[in-house]
Amino acid sequence: MKRKTVSILAVLLVSLTSVASFAAETIKIGALYPMSGRGGLYGQDSEAAIKIALAEVNAKGLPGGRKLEAIVTDDQSKPALAVTLAKRYITEDKVKFLYGVVSSGAALAVTEVSKEYKTIFVGSDHAATDLTANAFQKYYFRVSNNTYQSMAAGAMYMQETKMGGKIAYIGPDYAYGRDQIAELKYSLGKLGVKYEMVGEFWPKLYEPDYTSYITAIIKAKPDVLVSGFWGGDTVAFIKQAKAYGLFDKMKYFHPDGGGNYEVFSTLGAECPEGLIMSARHHNNWPDTKENKDFVQKFHKATGRYPSYAAEGAYAGILVIAEAIRKVGNADDTEALIKAMEGMKIKLPEDPAGFTSYIDPKTHQIVQAQAIGVTVKNDKFPPAKYALGKMKVYAADKIMATEEYIDILTKSKKK
Amino acid sequence: MNNKLTTMAPWLAYFLIFGSLIFVGGDHTIHIASQVIILGLFAIAFNVLFGTTGLLSFGQAIFYGLGAYITGMMAKSFGGDFFVWALLIAPAAAIVLSVLLGVLSLRLSDVYFTMLTLAFAQLAWGICVKWSSFTGGDDGIQAIPKPELLAGGLNYYIFSFVIVTACLYLLWRLDRSPFGSVLKGIRQNPTRISFIGMNVFRHKLLAYMISSCFTAIAGGLYAGIDKSIHPDMFVWTMSGSIILMTILGGMRSFFGPLIGVAVFILLEDEIGRATQYWSFVIGAIMITVVLLFPKGIVGISRHFARLFAKKGGQRDNP
Repeated sequence: MKRKTVSILAVLLVSLTSVASFAAETIKIGALYPMSGRGGLYGQDSEAAIKIALAEVNAKGLPGGRKLEAIVTDDQSKPALAVTLAKRYITEDKVKFLYGVVSSGAALAVTEVSKEYKTIFVGSDHAATDLTANAFQKYYFRVSNNTYQSMAAGAMYMQETKMGGKIAYIGPDYAYGRDQIAELKYSLGKLGVKYEMVGEFWPKLYEPDYTSYITAIIKAKPDVLVSGFWGGDTVAFIKQAKAYGLFDKMKYFHPDGGGNYEVFSTLGAECPEGLIMSARHHNNWPDTKENKDFVQKFHKATGRYPSYAAEGAYAGILVIAEAIRKVGNADDTEALIKAMEGMKIKLPEDPAGFTSYIDPKTHQIVQAQAIGVTVKNDKFPPAKYALGKMKVYAADKIMATEEYIDILTKSKKK
Repeated sequence: MNNKLTTMAPWLAYFLIFGSLIFVGGDHTIHIASQVIILGLFAIAFNVLFGTTGLLSFGQAIFYGLGAYITGMMAKSFGGDFFVWALLIAPAAAIVLSVLLGVLSLRLSDVYFTMLTLAFAQLAWGICVKWSSFTGGDDGIQAIPKPELLAGGLNYYIFSFVIVTACLYLLWRLDRSPFGSVLKGIRQNPTRISFIGMNVFRHKLLAYMISSCFTAIAGGLYAGIDKSIHPDMFVWTMSGSIILMTILGGMRSFFGPLIGVAVFILLEDEIGRATQYWSFVIGAIMITVVLLFPKGIVGISRHFARLFAKKGGQRDNP
């Protein structure tokens, strides 16, 4: 009896391993995203976008008839867990690429794993400039804009629309919030825009009540309130500030993540008009076939419209597939890096006549940034507003300068 | 003879399992095993306070984070060769800090002690996050250098295994010493201990210092596994999960906390692979263990060992 069980088990094991070796024909990508809590939406949207992109590239075909496959695991945005999972992906699942990551802290930890194991890490969401500057290593690539690019575009917008004068800043009290205003000040200085800081306000991330900040900001009487909020905090702040009439008293300027679709979909009709914002991807802009196709495909697959995170997750898969096609396989990591450096790739967020490319030196994707103001637009329900009157800033003008990378390296001692 | 075997059996199992991994473990297994022994040291050191002395500190993460940050920041500033020295400085610093915090908090009893330890740890976390020019803020510190000899997962595992084993041996001896008996006495009846003429406060403080010292060593070792550290290491959920793991494994047994850590980390790894709702599964397991087997996994295995013994078979419990 016992021997029978053992032999059945052995047969099972053998057949399992043969299945596994057959399945090894696919090229694996190990993706890490938060799937629950705040930030969970970005993970879910990214996973959906990855599926769409995989279906496209596999349909188009890869060298040797191989298929791309992605494993997605919840990293809870915890650096230690992200590192453990990344190592498991490389050593057990034999992935060729690490992928994704929303939290910059987790990404900074994962980029070390990528360096140690010489495995390419394609970052699709996190925005800390550090990764393509002072913490740069050659196995890292980023396929979405960093905060420097948003803030450089923001500074140009301020210059163009003569938005100087008295400025106040409010942003979450951690690296993402701190970096944004430092980068904006740097770019404003470069452009020679005159301004006076009348206050900096640092609520905690996920602060539920902004009343004390709102009254303090109104008291400081700035002409422009620059905002560096992230995710759900933007929604909470806008709702509360609207009740105090803050938006009638000053301009609200939020160039990195204010115009995210999930902000509009959550605010619905409550969204004030005339807020000046941007995002790393817009569902209603640019009006190109690529963007429309992407947004519609996403809507068809999930029943909702995508947040900005989806486009980054979609883009990275296309970049990886293109690199594999160029090299002819997924095993020669050095050749893949060469193929990705300087790669030109047409993405949904590219305006007509522009193609995104990867800067060979910093491995940062170079993309145009569009800043607009909130206007009524109900084409993407449940949102009732979207950005309009877009001003577009050329990709090469908003790249982090070498001088800035130097400053960052010195100040952070990395 | 039999008695001696019973006491040595857990050690034998410990060496068999964690020692053999050096020869048979794959990269991922070694990485997981490194986490298990290091967090295991943290949990066993915590249990000196909790299971032995009856002091529930909700803020041991402060010493874990301190150990990690001292080791990480020193290695980062002075180079990889300094890593091992920093591992010695970390526990020394933890002892100093534990005297300061201990004098303030140990005079309070029960829940007040627990709350105060929690408050101190959160304060440390706040400083770590806010003082970003010094600590790297919420991004943490990456690319912590190590000596050439400790590079690679396996070498570092062997290094950690040696240190953790030495620490566990010291803690084990302590647990069985007269000092350990006094600590257990304090848990059961502090009034009686003071009637014998023993100073309860001084013993509690010593236990607190010892626990903190070994916790800092665990933190310092952790800084070398991933070569990156984060303010998460200070936060209350870190202290909380150590408490959970200790209860899961069994707080009345010396090796119980280590078993709890191992089970927790393996579950997280295996269930996390299969479903995104893994925390739900772990929660359900925790509730089951706490409600049905308040003595933890060690309690369960002892229960079954007794059943086996009744049947006539000889079984040593772990």
